[in-house]
Amino acid sequence: MSFDTRTKLAIYRHFAETGQRPSSEVIAERVGSHVSSVREAFSRLRAQRVLALEGDGESIRMAPPFSGVPTQHTVTVDNRNYFANCAWDSFGIPAALHRPGWVHSRCEQTGEPFDLEIGLEGPPPRDWLFHCLVPAARWWDDIVFT
Amino acid sequence: MLFFRSEETLREWCAAHGYPIRPLVTIDQLWKLATTWYSTRLQEDSRRPPPDEMRAIFARLGLEGDFWDPQSDSFG
Repeated sequence: MSFDTRTKLAIYRHFAETGQRPSSEVIAERVGSHVSSVREAFSRLRAQRVLALEGDGESIRMAPPFSGVPTQHTVTVDNRNYFANCAWDSFGIPAALHRPGWVHSRCEQTGEPFDLEIGLEGPPPRDWLFHCLVPAARWWDDIVFT
Repeated sequence: MLFFRSEETLREWCAAHGYPIRPLVTIDQLWKLATTWYSTRLQEDSRRPPPDEMRAIFARLGLEGDFWDPQSDSFG
């Protein structure tokens, strides 16, 4: 397995196990390497659109579907809380973990709470809607806005 | 990428912010999209779908046209 793949898996496993973003130091320990090598891998994973990094170039803002910072989209799985990057990613967390859970979000216009139980086979029928403002070809122009 | 209670609340939000209304996606479509996109994300061989695969994933869910084309140049 390549170093970048080991780094990516270590990041995702940390998110899955804790609900929090890992530091480059934590990942370096998990993969048994130097922090400088891990930071270089972060940069390559960013170029592959696997990660989004903060302005400091090393803090993980997104490892989709996980968010490294608090958002309005929260997910609870096995009594652990996660932040999702967006509405799509809020469904992506139970999908990635292969576990049932709860999605908590809101209607962006009215603020009405959106609380939805997700089973292993998906959510029950609901007449809410998902809306993506940015065309697919432009998503990574500004992935945080997207 | 946001949730809305109804098409009416979505239209109100777009009008208030001067945003265009994009194709609507149902909760069922979103779940299928999320599982297709993310179900292997914690596995060694996971990868972000390349453009052709993205186009095929969207098309299977009825999400077609320039808006869902990752290589479209229709949006500047």
